[in-house]
Amino acid sequence: MNGTGQQPELSSVVSAKGLDLTFQTNDGPVHALKDVNLEINKGDFVSFIGPSGCGKTTFLRCIAALETPTGGSLTVNGMTPDEARRKRAYGYVFQAAGLYPWRTIAKNIKLPLEIMGYSRQEQDERVRNVLELVDLAGFGGKFPWQLSGGMQQRASIARALAFDADILLMDEPFGALDEIVRDHLNEQLLALWARTGKTIGFVTHSIPEAVYLSTRIVVMSPRPGRITDVIESPLPKERPLDIRDSAEFIEVAHRVREGLRAGHADE
Amino acid sequence: MQNFAHEMQVAFALILAGDSELLGIVALSLRVSLFAVLFAALIGMPLGAALAVGRFPGRRALAVLVNALMGLPPVVVGLLVYLMLSRSGPLGVLQLLYTPTAMIIAQVVLVTPIIAALTRQVIEMLDAEYAEQMRSLGLSRLATVPVLLWDGRVALLTALLAGFGRAIAEVGAVIIVGGNINHVTRVMTTTIALETSKGNLALALALGTVLIAIAVTVNAMVSLLGQRAEAQEDVRHA
Repeated sequence: MNGTGQQPELSSVVSAKGLDLTFQTNDGPVHALKDVNLEINKGDFVSFIGPSGCGKTTFLRCIAALETPTGGSLTVNGMTPDEARRKRAYGYVFQAAGLYPWRTIAKNIKLPLEIMGYSRQEQDERVRNVLELVDLAGFGGKFPWQLSGGMQQRASIARALAFDADILLMDEPFGALDEIVRDHLNEQLLALWARTGKTIGFVTHSIPEAVYLSTRIVVMSPRPGRITDVIESPLPKERPLDIRDSAEFIEVAHRVREGLRAGHADE
Repeated sequence: MQNFAHEMQVAFALILAGDSELLGIVALSLRVSLFAVLFAALIGMPLGAALAVGRFPGRRALAVLVNALMGLPPVVVGLLVYLMLSRSGPLGVLQLLYTPTAMIIAQVVLVTPIIAALTRQVIEMLDAEYAEQMRSLGLSRLATVPVLLWDGRVALLTALLAGFGRAIAEVGAVIIVGGNINHVTRVMTTTIALETSKGNLALALALGTVLIAIAVTVNAMVSLLGQRAEAQEDVRHA
């Protein structure tokens, strides 16, 4: 230990160095991730943006130990991703809400708590808290099909928040929703992030969404999946929706678009 | 046909009067088949779940085998269990031949593949949908099994009823290993076979009526539960 700055900072939550992931398929190897280097610090809101096949979801899944890298190193909270998974370091929000149709919203949110052996009283308390956090208070007794798509997705976020994971990984959670609902949920997500101080990894297709939400935007491009640009957002932490009309916002969006275009031209 | 009408009348009289011989036979049938389903469930459900979520060599081959065993001919199962339990057989020392226990064993062999195969289907379907959710909650694959079994309980009940339907209606296996001994191993199906050949149509008809009532009830329950499970399915994909 000579402390030459090679060490990740204390606040580093996710650290990827030279990360590779190659899938062997019948048509030969597919390089889903190639030489990915990234540090995510505590409290960051990091968005991953890029065209299909750029590896943004794959990288998120590597962090969650749902995929296993074939090369390089990756740590989550200083552990291997799988150790972190078993210690319940993160909550994961999938593209589809994935709620059990035969469980009520409250019961769906309780599922991880039941599995983790929380007392019934604690379960009820946590469910009440997270339902309030995602603005679904009073909907605990409803079944998923009685809720709109946006509400289902919020319930799914509530489930990921119900246990105290410091990291929230979200894979295009609002991809299937219309723009107005998406705006609203983006606003709520920022408020939630400010209140909880969680570290968030967020995969998206949408440039405005990435710019509006993130402290850092990671631009990726495909074949092989790699990072082409990392943009530190100059936007303030407090972000009303109309910040999207500001010159700063448009400038960042422009840079993201340029990054995406450059990645495309490389092919 | 007058004869038939008369026999039918006697049959209903037997049922309505709660004839003790009739009740005894029905009770033994239910006892044998319910125990058989219970033991088959204890073996078949974990086996089916293991085949659904497990990743071990030979899993596919075993799944195919279990599916194939669903169609076992009861008479052949009866013969094999008979050979195992007969005095010179490997389990002859237990002296189980011609006892209700032997009948339960034979039916367990018949019912286990049905329950295992149906359980595998149910758990595989749930697993495909929720495996990553469970994994993201820090569970090992093995630890997801109880969660999936519990959440699939309606569909699994259908598997149990299907197994029970097979057991209660089956005659070939129990007649060989049970021997159809009066008051000892005589169940509904074997009695019907015997009494019909003896010409005692009234008792056979009475038992046949009870058996059909049970079969219809079980099948109605299966399809009702199936509809419920399907409704859940529709909701999920809506």
